[in-house]
Order: sequence, then C-alpha cells, then structure tokens
Amino acid sequence: MRDEGRKVDALIVGTGPAAAACAKRLTDAGYETVALERKELPRRKPCSGILSPRGHRFLIENFGPLPKEILHSPSSACGVKFHFPSMRTVSMEFDGGPTPHLNRKFADHWAMKQSGAEIHDRTEFIGLEDKGTHVEVSTRKEERIVRYRARFVIGADGPGLAVARAVYPDYAARLPWFVVGQKFHRIIDCPLDDKYFHFWFHPELGHYTWSHARDGRQIVGVGFLKGGNFDNRHKRVVEYLERKHHVRLGPAEEPEAVTANFGPSLINRYIFGRGNVLITGQAAGFFNMIAEGMSCALHSGAIAGEAAVEAFRSSKDAQRTYRGMIASEVRRCSDQWNPLQIAFGRPHEADFRGAMKKLTPGERLGILREMFSFIRLYSPLNWGRQILWQSLRRLLTGRYPATRWL
Amino acid sequence: MTTANISSTDILDHVAPDSLKGIPRRQTNPARWNGGSWGAFTDALRSQNIEICEKKQTCRVYAVDSGGLASGLPHGVALARSAEQISAILKQAQLHRVPVTVKGGGLTTEGESVAFGGLQLDMRAMNRVLSVDAKNMTVRAQAGIYWHTLGEVLRRDGLDYLSAPLNMTSSVGGTLSVGGIDINSPRLGCSADQAVSLQVVTPTGEIKECSESENPELFERVLLGYGQFGVITEASMRIRKFTPLTMHYFYYGSLREAMEDLQLLVRGDAADYCGILTVLDKAVNLLVAFDSDERERAFFSGWRGRLRGHGQLGFALRMTWHYALRPWRIGEALYLLGRKRALEPAFKPEHHLEKNKIVDRTVVFSNSVWKFWGGKRMVIPDLATSAEKFVEAIERGNAVCRKYFPRYTLYCVGIKLSGRRERYELSCIPPDAEGFAYGCEFEPILGGEDYSREYLQAFKNEIYDIGVEMKTSYYRFGGMMKGYIRRVFGDELVEKHLAMKRAADPAMILNPDVIF
Ligand SMILES: Cc1cc2nc3c(=O)[nH]c(=O)nc-3n(C[C@H](O)[C@H](O)[C@H](O)COP(=O)(O)OP(=O)(O)OC[C@H]3O[C@@H](n4cnc5c(N)ncnc54)[C@H](O)[C@@H]3O)c2cc1C
Ligand SMILES: Cc1cc2nc3c(=O)[nH]c(=O)nc-3n(C[C@H](O)[C@H](O)[C@H](O)COP(=O)(O)OP(=O)(O)OC[C@H]3O[C@@H](n4cnc5c(N)ncnc54)[C@H](O)[C@@H]3O)c2cc1C
Repeated sequence: MRDEGRKVDALIVGTGPAAAACAKRLTDAGYETVALERKELPRRKPCSGILSPRGHRFLIENFGPLPKEILHSPSSACGVKFHFPSMRTVSMEFDGGPTPHLNRKFADHWAMKQSGAEIHDRTEFIGLEDKGTHVEVSTRKEERIVRYRARFVIGADGPGLAVARAVYPDYAARLPWFVVGQKFHRIIDCPLDDKYFHFWFHPELGHYTWSHARDGRQIVGVGFLKGGNFDNRHKRVVEYLERKHHVRLGPAEEPEAVTANFGPSLINRYIFGRGNVLITGQAAGFFNMIAEGMSCALHSGAIAGEAAVEAFRSSKDAQRTYRGMIASEVRRCSDQWNPLQIAFGRPHEADFRGAMKKLTPGERLGILREMFSFIRLYSPLNWGRQILWQSLRRLLTGRYPATRWL
Repeated sequence: MTTANISSTDILDHVAPDSLKGIPRRQTNPARWNGGSWGAFTDALRSQNIEICEKKQTCRVYAVDSGGLASGLPHGVALARSAEQISAILKQAQLHRVPVTVKGGGLTTEGESVAFGGLQLDMRAMNRVLSVDAKNMTVRAQAGIYWHTLGEVLRRDGLDYLSAPLNMTSSVGGTLSVGGIDINSPRLGCSADQAVSLQVVTPTGEIKECSESENPELFERVLLGYGQFGVITEASMRIRKFTPLTMHYFYYGSLREAMEDLQLLVRGDAADYCGILTVLDKAVNLLVAFDSDERERAFFSGWRGRLRGHGQLGFALRMTWHYALRPWRIGEALYLLGRKRALEPAFKPEHHLEKNKIVDRTVVFSNSVWKFWGGKRMVIPDLATSAEKFVEAIERGNAVCRKYFPRYTLYCVGIKLSGRRERYELSCIPPDAEGFAYGCEFEPILGGEDYSREYLQAFKNEIYDIGVEMKTSYYRFGGMMKGYIRRVFGDELVEKHLAMKRAADPAMILNPDVIF
C-alpha cells in the first residue's frame, strides 16, 4: 500500500516572508502547519533587504521586536534616491522614519521560527494532487520521496513557482522573465549616501539598476529581460557609477543572479490557485515598486493564512474567501504602478510627489520626461495599454477586476 | 558618507520597536502558548474532580471573539462553576505556568477574550441572580450572567440595573472588567461604576471580597482592569426603578454641530439618555430619551430651542437640496434613503412599545438597531477623549473611515466620571478628562464584502494612531490594542501597573498578552 504520508491541516511551500506570515495566522488559530523549504536553513536569499514601513510594522506586530542578528549594516535605510541620466536626483524619505535593512538569510528564518509552525528544510516540493477533501503532496528529501496529506496547501515558494506550475502547468511559460543580479564590491570611495537605496531611471543601464551599502561593501545590481548577459550589464553599471558619480570600487565579488516573475502586479494578472491550493507572495505575482516585495509578501501571505483559517472554521470555499480578502492587497500593490494613483493619490510609503514639489517646475518637467523615456524600455512587453485600462477600471469601480486573476 | 560615520546607537535606534516615528509598536499578535505543561496541569485538576474539556470541536467554538478577526484555540475549556473551582484552577495554573483566558460574553473585538493556547475559562455557567435587596436598592449576581438576563429578573419586581452595554450577550463580569457604556452613561457613568462590592478570585487563587471599604486596592484594580488582577465571580451592584422611556431624534448634516450639541446636553444634564448615531457623516442623528414626562417637558421647554438639529421634515428638505446640487452623488442619496426606511421601524418596533414608550432599550438596540451595522466581524475601533478634544478626534476619525470604507457609522456618547478614581488609571477614561469623558466608535459597514484582517487592522491602526497623536484614550468598546498602551499612557504608568500585575500574578498567567 502507498504511504499516505504525514497528515497536517496546512502545508506551506516556502519559508520566505509570505510563508512566515501565513504560518503565523494558521498556528495562532491552532491548526497544525508544516512549512517546507528546499534549501537548508538558514538559507541565503539575494535581496536588497530594504523593508517598507508597512512591512516593518507587520514584522513587529506579528513576530515581535527585531533582533539585531537579522540586520545588515547600516541597520536601516532612510529612503530612496532616484537618479536620472541628466544627473538630477529625487530624494524621498520613508513615511514614519527609517526602516530596517534586513539580512534575509537570518530574518526569514527568524520570522519563520517565530510563527510557531513546524519547519522541514531540505525538502523540495515536487508535485500535488487535489483530491477535493484534501491535497496529496510529494516532496523530495535527500533523494527520497516524502509524502504529505494536507487540507490546504499554500504555495509561498516565490519566483520558483513550483506550486503554480503544479496547478497551472503552462503558466510560467507565459510570463516574461527578468534576470536580477547583484555583485558586492569593496569600497574605495563612494559618495552615494549609504542611508539610502539608490535607483537609476536610465534606459541604457537596464530595466532595474540599483546600488546601496551593505556590511562595509557596496552592492551594484542590475535587472534586465532574460537573455542578456549579467557580467556585461553589471560592468556597464559599475563604469557608469565611476564616470558619473565618482564611485570607486574594488573588484566584484560574490555574484548573485536570480530570475524574477516581475510584472503580474503591474497589469493585474495575479495567480491565486485553485481548489484547496492557495498561491501567495511573489509566487502569486505580488511585487511592489522599488523591489519592495517583502511587505506585500507578508501581507498577502497573512491573508492566505486567514482565508484558510476561515475556510476551516466556516467550511466556506477557501478560494472564494481568499480572492475576496486579497482584493485590498491587490489594490495596495497594483496602485503602486498605476499612473493615475501615482499622479493623484499617494500609493507609496515614500513621498514622491512631496519630493517633486521641492524642485522647480522646469526640473519637474525634465524628470517626468526622463521617467517617460525610461518606461519606454518596457514597451516590447505591451503592458502600457493594459496598465492604462486597469487604471481606468480602478478609477471607475474602485477596484481591479478579479476576472483577470488565475 | 560611509557606514563608519554613523554612530552605533544611531544605527540601532532605527529598528527598535519604536522606530516608526511617533508610533512605537509592540507585538500585538501573541505567539500561541506551546502547551508544555498542559498534561501535568490537567492531571492535577482532574485529580480534584475539575472537568476540563479538550475536545477539538468544543475548543473550536471558542476560536474567535465578536471581533471575528483574531483566531485562537485553547488547549482545553473549563466551565466556571464556583469561586472554589476557579481558585483551584488558578493555583494549578500558577504552578504549571498555564495561561488562563477568561471569557464572559466574548464581545471583545481585539481578541482579548480569545485563548491562544492554554485554558479558556468560560464564566457563563455562573449565571444566577443571588439576591435582590429592594430596600437598599442593590442586587448580587454571579458574574457570568448576561445583563439582559439580570434585567429580566429585576424587571419582575419593577427594578432595573443602572447602565449596561446595549447588547444581549455581554456579561456582568466582562463588562465590569472593561467599563461598559450605555446611552445613559452621561448621567449614570460607566457600567463598572455601579459595582458596590465584588467577590474576586485573585490570580494566585485566593477568594476575596472587595469594595470601597474592604480590600479597596483590589476593588480599584479589578474594575476596568481587563481581567488582569482577578476573576470576578460575584458582583453586588446598585439598581434603580424600572421605567420605559420616550425617545426623540434630531437630525444634523454637520458632525461638528451635532457633537457640540451632544456636549451641551451632557454638560447641562438635559436628558436621561443621549447619544449620536450617524449614517456616514451625512445623516447625523442625535437621540435623546427620558425616564419621565417631567424631564421630557423640561427638555422641550429649556433645551430644544438651543439645539441646531432638525426634525425629520426639515432634514429631508435639506438633504433633497444638498443632493439636488450634487446629482453625481445619487448613489449615496439612495443609500441614505434606504437606511432611513429600514432604521425608522427598527427604532420603534411595535412589539416593544407601550403607550409609545420603549420598554427595553437593550432589546431594541441589539435586536433591531445593531443588526444594521453588525456582522460576523465587528470592527469598532474607538477613541475616548476629554471634552476639549472630542470634536477634533471625531473629525479626524471620520476622515479615516472615509478613506477606508464606502459605508460606515459613528456612535458617540458621553460618560459621567465619578470623581477621580484609581480604577480610571490605564483605562478607557482619558487622564485629562474632567467631569465627563466622551467616546466615539468608528464602525465600517462591511456588508457582504470579504475584507482581510490586514486591511481592517490597518484601518484600526489609523484610528488608534489618532489617539496616540492627540493623547486620548480608547473607550474599550472595541478593546485596547496592546501595542498602543505604552504609547498612550507612557512607560511610567504602564510600568507601575506591570509591577502590580507581576506581584499579583507571579507566573503572569491570567489573561496574558491583553495589556502587558
Ligand atoms: C535582487 C533582489 C532585491 C530585492 N530587494 C528587495 C528589497 O529591498 N525590499 C523588498 O521588500 N523586496 C526586495 N526584493 C523582493 C523580495 O525579495 C521578494 O519579493 C520576496 O522575497 C518574496 O517573498 P516570498 O515569501 O513570496 O518568496 P521568497 O522569499 O522567494 O521565498 C520562497 C521560498 O520558497 C522556497 N522554495 C522555492 N521553491 C521551492 C520548492 N519547490 N520546495 C520547497 N521550497 C521552495 C525558496 O527556497 C524560498 O525560501 C528583491 C528581490 C531581488 C531578487
Ligand atoms: C455588537 C456589540 C455591541 C456592543 N455594544 C456595546 C455597548 O453598547 N456598550 C459597551 O460598553 N460595550 C459594547 N460592546 C462591547 C462589549 O459589550 C463589552 O466589551 C462587554 O461589556 C464585554 O462583556 P463580555 O461579557 O462580552 O466580556 P468578554 O468579552 O468576555 O471579556 C472582556 C474582558 O474581560 C475579561 N473577563 C470576562 N469575564 C471576566 C470576569 N468574570 N472576571 C474577570 N475578567 C473577565 C476577559 O478576559 C476580557 O479580557 C459591544 C460589542 C459588540 C460586539
């Protein structure tokens, strides 16, 4: 007879922020919860580690005060500086003051442990079968197949999308994929203010170009559509920083590059799962502006947990409940990319409009023009019309249509 | 600039729990108790013939409070039977460090009566009226009794309690522990102030009687004490003669005017009952009611002329004009009209009227009125302020409601203070209130929408943040968020109470994580 495996109330795939938040809601409510992680914990995670004020609040309220072991140095960031090809700069402080600079390797593990859920690391999710009353899950642990049986499975496995692929096999292939990579440099001289995260709106550097200080070194990172060459792109950014900002750095060390499913939140194309399988965090498509992904991962993860708890308690359909509850997070996240919200609302937790107001009208116009020419870099993806249409729907109905979600 | 230039304290301060400028945070969602010593605890209790139910189905009944947001699960449930039984439970809980969470009606909204592991002590089995003293006008009852049941018993003899929450299922013990507000609170104070003496089981299991003359410190700690300093098992309370009441409504288009008029009436003791209920900030209803025809007449001769509120017709004309000039707001106008149609009969249910007087305001409010804004989830953050800060606090809270929800209501009342009492410290009574405090509850109408807890919590936080900024308190209608207590009351006061709590409850097992 086939081994049915460990029976649990909920099985979470992943141990990132979305998983920790989801686990917290489930264990608080007394549901037996296991979280799977394919790597050995604590695991490394390429990330700038800059947390938004909302994410900071969530961590403290749910997991307690942050121990200093989970922080890099400088231990906080004041805000973000945008740089433009004309060498104009817009500097924005985070609402409510500086926020922590998380060391993801330890921060994720800390939050996960604080959640109280049982953690099974070195256990890779490989497939599932939704039986209606429960889900059967297969995993690989040290070359062995280990099975679980859970009432609900929550896919919080980030850009790996293993759970999403198991539910919608052709989903991942339909997404445009980006490569996001960073390298660390010894600092010889760096005039960039190390209290800020620096971002370049420069179409020639890449789709996503950034730099910031960490543990005495400088990170230089670049994101671009899959297919480009990371080393060349990165070298180009380092040279640019030297030429234009007089940043002198030692040789590049510890290159890290990952692929990212950046895009669904811009065009309201989220994926939330099917039946007893809920998908959340970055896997569902949540990604805020300025790579601010942890806060929406935390919040969406918590909502997935809450929906599962609600479904346990009321035997209401988990998908329906989840999709109802997640609408506020969708608004929150997609608003950050919505030009109407950016122009007339206040979707970010750093005051962009306030920072712009400090400039002369001429400078403002110049910056808008530079932003526009940067956005054109994304035109091959054909997102422009979709973003505009979604923005209008949001304006007229107050929400983003759920019909576009998978 | 490089890292070397930042001093290390500078670096660390930014991520301290209070690093969000002006708004320190604490862990508000406690970790579930791990159940370590549960077995030894239950064995010890069973050997004393104390029944603990550990069935999952039973424990799940206690998963949420009326707020419906914070879900927990006790390891087991005990139905309260007697002070002696509770004493035995608390003694073992101290010994084995098992958290005990007391639940009366469970009408809290921030999860205060929800057990995140440990034992849930359900007080509702202690629900008898023990004696009624019509001569001295007092009643003695077990603390798990619902006010409504107490009222039914008292009314048989033409008597009534002084003030109690306007719902059917709040218990005497739970209410004395949090405050309790009725629409007669501007005259008769908060419900806790009607207590004359209490039987309390302390966190270490001693059974004590307390009052203003006997164990007065315990009395002052337990009243409005959020269950931190003991389990109330019996309460003696003042009572009064039962009277049906006549209710009148005045309508305002301006929140500010209505609030100012409410304060005028409260200060002048112009009505026996008064409060404000709104539909959005558009239809603001000031309600006044009277126990006697004399008081009603005195109101109409002395006070009515000074109020800026309209009668129904006047208000209807005003609103017609308002929306005629704003035709794009037709949806809102229709909503208000719909509400009016539904609410009017609710406030005057035929079967609860006798000669046009409301026989039982609690039944009318809970059965007929609250149902229009209540639901499976009650989101009712609130602010309690001094008279001076009241209007500003409400206007700011109203702006937050508008930002988050298309439909909401505000419910405001005054609360008469009975002098300066120790029990008011660290309570819903704001420290700067003199004579009267005022409270406002901000209540979104959630309808069929599935809002996430995260969204609702963000809304509540924004309301509570106003309290922090304006240095008000919280009415505790919706409960006090633990994360706000230090900020609002300051470290010194919280430390003082924490020291008292530690002395009274060495293992910190009774209602943990609610305040400290
Ligand atoms: C270079 C870079 C910089 C960034 N900077 C920031 C920043 O400054 N601020 C910010 O807020 N966000 C930032 N982000 C985004 C942020 O890292 C993500 O949005 C966030 O980590 C998403 O959280 P998650 O919990 O959804 O997924 P993840 O954090 O990706 O966690 C998923 C987990 O699932 C595990 N997993 C995957 N597949 C399987 C499987 N099959 N079986 C078992 N386990 C599996 C993974 O190992 C991982 O531990 C950055 C991202 C990148 C790439
Ligand atoms: C729909 C609704 C309407 C409401 N209307 C009003 C209103 O009109 N006026 C008003 O003031 N409030 C109102 N409230 C709030 C609620 O009525 C009060 O919080 C209520 O008085 C609490 O009583 P309870 O028995 O439900 O207490 P619980 O919620 O059970 O407990 C309250 C707190 O006291 C503790 N506790 C309970 N029993 C005891 C005891 N015997 N000894 C020691 N500690 C104990 C609990 O652990 C908890 O911390 C309303 C709430 C809802 C949901």
